Amino acid sequence: MAKTTRRMTMTGAAALAAGLIRPAMAQDGAVKIGVIYPLSGNSATAGNYSKMALEVGADVVNNGNADLAKLIPLAKGGGLPGLKNAKIQLVFADNQGTPAAGQNQALRLITEEKVAALIGAYQSGVTLTASAIAERHGIPFVNGESVAANLTERGFKWFFRVTPVALDFARAYSDFLKVQKAAGRKTDNIALVHENTEYGNSVGSVIVDQFKKDGFAVGTKIAYSANSSDVQPQVLQLKEKNPDVLIFISYTSDAILYTKTMKELNWKPGIMIADNAGFNDPAFVKSLGSQVEGLINRSAFSAGKAGSVPDLFNKIYTKKTGGDELDDVSVRGLQAFMVLADALNRAGSTEPAKIQAALKATDLPASQMVAGYDGVKFDDKGQNVKAASVVTQMRGGKYVTIAPKERATAEVILPYKGW
Amino acid sequence: MKRWLLWGVLGALVLAYPLLTEGSAVWQRLGALVLLAAIGASAWNIVGGYAGQVSVGHAVFFGFGAYSAVVVYTHLQWPPIAGAPIGMILSMLVAAAIGVPTLRLAGHYFSMATIAVGELVRVLSSTSDFLGGAQGLGGPAMPRSVFDLSFISAAPFYYIFLAVLTLLLGLTWWIERSRMGFYLRAIKDSERAARSLGVSAGQYKLYAYMLSGAFASLAGSLYLCMFGFVDPESGFGILISVKIVVMAALGGAGQLFGPLVGALILVPLEELSNSLLGGQGAGLTFVVYGAIIVIIARFLPSGLLSLLERRKVTRAD
Repeated sequence: MAKTTRRMTMTGAAALAAGLIRPAMAQDGAVKIGVIYPLSGNSATAGNYSKMALEVGADVVNNGNADLAKLIPLAKGGGLPGLKNAKIQLVFADNQGTPAAGQNQALRLITEEKVAALIGAYQSGVTLTASAIAERHGIPFVNGESVAANLTERGFKWFFRVTPVALDFARAYSDFLKVQKAAGRKTDNIALVHENTEYGNSVGSVIVDQFKKDGFAVGTKIAYSANSSDVQPQVLQLKEKNPDVLIFISYTSDAILYTKTMKELNWKPGIMIADNAGFNDPAFVKSLGSQVEGLINRSAFSAGKAGSVPDLFNKIYTKKTGGDELDDVSVRGLQAFMVLADALNRAGSTEPAKIQAALKATDLPASQMVAGYDGVKFDDKGQNVKAASVVTQMRGGKYVTIAPKERATAEVILPYKGW
Repeated sequence: MKRWLLWGVLGALVLAYPLLTEGSAVWQRLGALVLLAAIGASAWNIVGGYAGQVSVGHAVFFGFGAYSAVVVYTHLQWPPIAGAPIGMILSMLVAAAIGVPTLRLAGHYFSMATIAVGELVRVLSSTSDFLGGAQGLGGPAMPRSVFDLSFISAAPFYYIFLAVLTLLLGLTWWIERSRMGFYLRAIKDSERAARSLGVSAGQYKLYAYMLSGAFASLAGSLYLCMFGFVDPESGFGILISVKIVVMAALGGAGQLFGPLVGALILVPLEELSNSLLGGQGAGLTFVVYGAIIVIIARFLPSGLLSLLERRKVTRAD
C-alpha cells in the first residue's frame, strides 16, 4: 500500500510542479491581473461572456482604439502610461461555481501567479470566500457583479465593489413609479412575483422595504420555484387581484412561461416591470420580445447614443463574440476591469498598498463609463456610491433606454401593451 | 523490520509535509484539502464500506456540521469550531431518525432513500431564514481570536485535519478488529445469513450509520472553519455526497486506508486539472477528471488498494 500511494503521489507531484510553478512574470514587464469567473457549471455562460468582455478591455488598453481614445485616456494603446507602459496580462481561473474552488483559485493566483490584483467572482458566495483570501494576503479585490449586501459589511480594506446592489435597483423602480404617479397613472395596487432562491428572495425583500419607505405598498407577493412547469395558478391569482403594477424577479425559463401563460389567460397589468435576469436573457428577447411590448426593465448596459463609450465598446465586443451584444452582466465585469486598469495606472506600481490607495482615490466621471453608472467613487466600505441602473423599455423586440434623462434614447410609452 | 521502516518514513513524511512545502501556499493547502476529503470519505467508509450500506446522502451530515459551525457564530457569536460537537450530536440524532426507517431497505433502495433525504434537506435549508436561506451564511470575516481558526497559512489546518483523521482511522481500525467489525462484514456479505447466526443486523447497521454521520458532520464543521462560508448547495448539495462515495470507492471501500488513497488521487487531480485547464473556459476540467475516474473504475473495480491485494496473492503463490 505504501508503495502504491507514494508512487501515485510522486507522479501527481511532478505533474503539478510542471503546471503550477511558473515564473512570476511571464511577459517582460506585463502586469498580471487574476480573474476568477464561473467558466464551468451552472453559470458558465455568464462567466464566459464576462471573460470575453474583460479580454476586450485588456485589448483596448494594450493595443488601443482610435475612437475610444477620444473619450477614455487609457484607450490610446501601448499599455499603462503611468506604469512604464506595462501591458496588462489577464490570468483566468475557473471557480466552478463553488465557494471552495473560488477560494483555492484565489490563493493560487495570488501566490503562484503573483497577480497584482484580483477581479471576480460572479456568485456572491464565491466572491465572499475568494475575497477573504485576498484580504488575508493584502491583495486588492475588485468585484464587478455580486450584489449580496453583506459583502461590503465585513470591514475589509482590500475589497472594492463597482456594481450597484439590490437597493439601487429598488430605488430605480421606485423613482420610475414616482414619475408615473405624478403623471397620473394608477400605482396603488402593486404585485411582486419572484422566484424563491437567493436572487429572487433577496432582491424581492429589498424592493418591498424600499417601496414601503417611498409610500408604495406591495399588496400581493407571490413566491414560486423557477423550475415550475406550470404557472397558471399564479397568473390566475394575479388576474383575480388585478394589480396596477406587476414586478417580476425571474430566471429565463420561468420568464418564458409567465409570458405565455399571461397571453393564454389574456391578462395584463397597466405597468409591468421585470428585474433584468430572465427577461434580459438573449434567448428570451429573441423568442418572446414581441410578446412583452412596453415591458419596463433595468440594466447596467445601455448602448446609448452612437459614438458613446458603451456604444464603441459594444461594437468591439460584438465583433469578438460574433453577434452577441454586451449585456447587464458582461458590461459590469468590463467596467470593473476598467476601474482596476485606471487604478493601476495611477498607482504607477504593482505594490499592493499603492494599488489599494489608488483604488480608494478612484473618481471616474459618468462620461467614461461603459456601464450605466453615474461614475465610480468608493466609500469607506469599498462600495461604489455612484453605481446606478438605467431603466429600459421593450420596443419592437429590443430594449431602449428611457431613464435617466442623460442616457435616454426614447420616451416611455404606457400602458403596457404586451402581445 | 523493513515494513516498520517504511511506515516510519511515511509517517515522518506526512508529519513534515507542511514544512517541506513551506515555499508554496498552494501545495500546503492541497495537503490540508486531501486530509479534509479523507475525513469525509473515511467517515462514509464505516457504513458504506464495512457495512455495505451505500449512502448517497452523506451531504446531510456534512451540511449539518457546516451549518452548526456557522450558526453558533451567526446567532451566538461563538467561534465556529464550537459548533462541531453540536453538529456531531445533531447528526447522530438525524442519522437515527433517517436510519431507523431506511436501513430496513435493501441495497439500491437504501441508496435511493438517502438521496431523497439529502435533496429534501437541501431544499428545506434554502427556505430557512435561520440558516440564511438560499444566500447561505458566512463565518467571521475578521479573526477575533485564535479560536476562530482564521489562518493565512494552511499548515495549522493540516495538523488539525491530520489529528482528526488519525483519530477516525484509529477508531475504524479498532472497530475492524472488534466484534462489531465482524458483524458489519457479515452483514455486508449476506444480511440474511448474519441474522440467522444471531447478529442483530438492524442495530449494528444503525450504530455504524450514526458513527459515520457524526464524523461526516465533523468534516463539515472543519470545512466551514477553513472556507468560512456555506450555502445550501455547498453544504447539502448532492455533488458532495457523490464525491464522498467516489473517493472511497476509488481507493477501496471497506479498507482502512481506501478513502485516504482515493482522496490522495482525486483531490490533487481536481485541483490540478482546474488550475491547468479551468482558465480556458472550455469545461475541459471535468472531462479529464471524469475520464480518469472511468479508467480507474474500468481496470480496478475494487479500488486502487486492490492492486496491493493482487500482489500479495501473487506472492503467496
